[in-house]
Amino acid sequence: MKLELGNIYIKDIQFTEGEAKIDDHILYVNKEAAAAAALGEEEHLASVSFDIAKPGESVRITPVKDVIEPRVKVEGRGGIFPGVIAKVDTVGSGKTYCLKGMAVVTAGKIVGFQEGVIDMSGEGAKYTPFSQTLNLVMVCTPVEGLKQHEYEAAVRFAGFRLATYIGELARDLTPDDTKVYETYGIMEGKEKFPNLPRVAYVQMLQSQGLLHDTYVYGVDAKKTLSTIMNPTETMDGAIVSGNCVSACDKNPTYVHENNPVIADLFEEHGKTINFVCQILTNENVYLADKMRSSDWTAKLCRLLDLDGIILSQEGFGNPDTDLIMNCKKIEAEGVKTVIITDEYAGRDGKSQSLADADVAADAVVTGGNANQVVILPKLDKVIGTMDYITKIAGASEETLRADGTLEVELQVLTGATNETGFNKLSAR
Amino acid sequence: MVKEIERAGIPVVHVCTVTPISMTVGANRIVPAIAIPHPLGNPALEPAEEKALRRHIVEKALEALTTEVEDQTIFE
Repeated sequence: MKLELGNIYIKDIQFTEGEAKIDDHILYVNKEAAAAAALGEEEHLASVSFDIAKPGESVRITPVKDVIEPRVKVEGRGGIFPGVIAKVDTVGSGKTYCLKGMAVVTAGKIVGFQEGVIDMSGEGAKYTPFSQTLNLVMVCTPVEGLKQHEYEAAVRFAGFRLATYIGELARDLTPDDTKVYETYGIMEGKEKFPNLPRVAYVQMLQSQGLLHDTYVYGVDAKKTLSTIMNPTETMDGAIVSGNCVSACDKNPTYVHENNPVIADLFEEHGKTINFVCQILTNENVYLADKMRSSDWTAKLCRLLDLDGIILSQEGFGNPDTDLIMNCKKIEAEGVKTVIITDEYAGRDGKSQSLADADVAADAVVTGGNANQVVILPKLDKVIGTMDYITKIAGASEETLRADGTLEVELQVLTGATNETGFNKLSAR
Repeated sequence: MVKEIERAGIPVVHVCTVTPISMTVGANRIVPAIAIPHPLGNPALEPAEEKALRRHIVEKALEALTTEVEDQTIFE
């Protein structure tokens, strides 16, 4: 399967009373038209409002639900977000344009304690990768009496509709640069790269339910068995986030579209490895599901005659067990496994990092310690509301200090300890 | 907590969903629970069925508490 990604770099976002368009790398947004596109026939949202947040500005966005990169499919089967916005059809081939340097950010109080913070400047901006994007923020207000799970679904769909609408504005443009990604059939790949190790990416999707969900072609991941996909399918939005969970290590939709593990494996594809495929598995709350799903990933790794895999987790706590089960069982099939996780090692970093462990997990990449404390400055403008800032996971009653600064754990910052490497922490 | 209470000389039954974690942390008597969001119940059941289920888990835990164990044991 072959996909050409065309990048169009957005250098500024401005509101206009006139027609929405992208002209000379500037996105012009007409608020009324954007609201109409985002709301569609949604009955659960009373209104949406828009704001723009730019890198370096004294702006805080909270409570953040999702971050999405607008894309448009210009050639090939299907459309962006298949089974969610576009009709169900196999995506991942043909040609897709991506609006780089910008993001659609959805905000609104859904759960209260499981949405995140994006700071566009100051200490927090060093940790969230979305301080570097021009953000078109949509704050969604629900109709009265709406239940949390209905509110979550409404905000999720509004975000995808808005991103799709913005992406469509790029349909007739010429990309600034393009890159081609291609994977092969099992036999074809073996013939093409007879001497290269066969490597796959096993991605664990957050699927604990109760607003901790991920969707694959519109299917709720907790109701799936582990399965195989072409990695280019993710680039067309085959996986989307429906998550309200600790902000630092959940994968917003933007991360699924731009998964760095996939990007890096493609970089080595045909050179040092044969990137065979992507394997998806879930993180459910029943022990039997954890056992079944990890049995299945190990079985698929063996069936595909893999030499090695990279395994990424999403979230923390009981998914640590899914991670270790996957690692143990895949290694037991003779397939070398590297895991990517993050740590909850306490504020002093001295506690056990993961809830589960095994000797098979002998190659580990960490996204950082989510309990690490940072002080965020008082910023001039808030998009959304500060009403829940002391409730967000990683904050406390003592978070808001007398001088207006915030004492929080990295947990509160969207993407700070991301477990696909889509974050800014590193170590020497 | 399981280990600290046992260290004080009081036997403990750990009722938990993810029994592998309980094994890793070193609990001696483990009784499997239902699911992470609802370890001791199941909202999908009728109230009478759920009460029976809850009672069953507690009785199993009490039985485990009075059973001598040589090694870490999961009471299925």
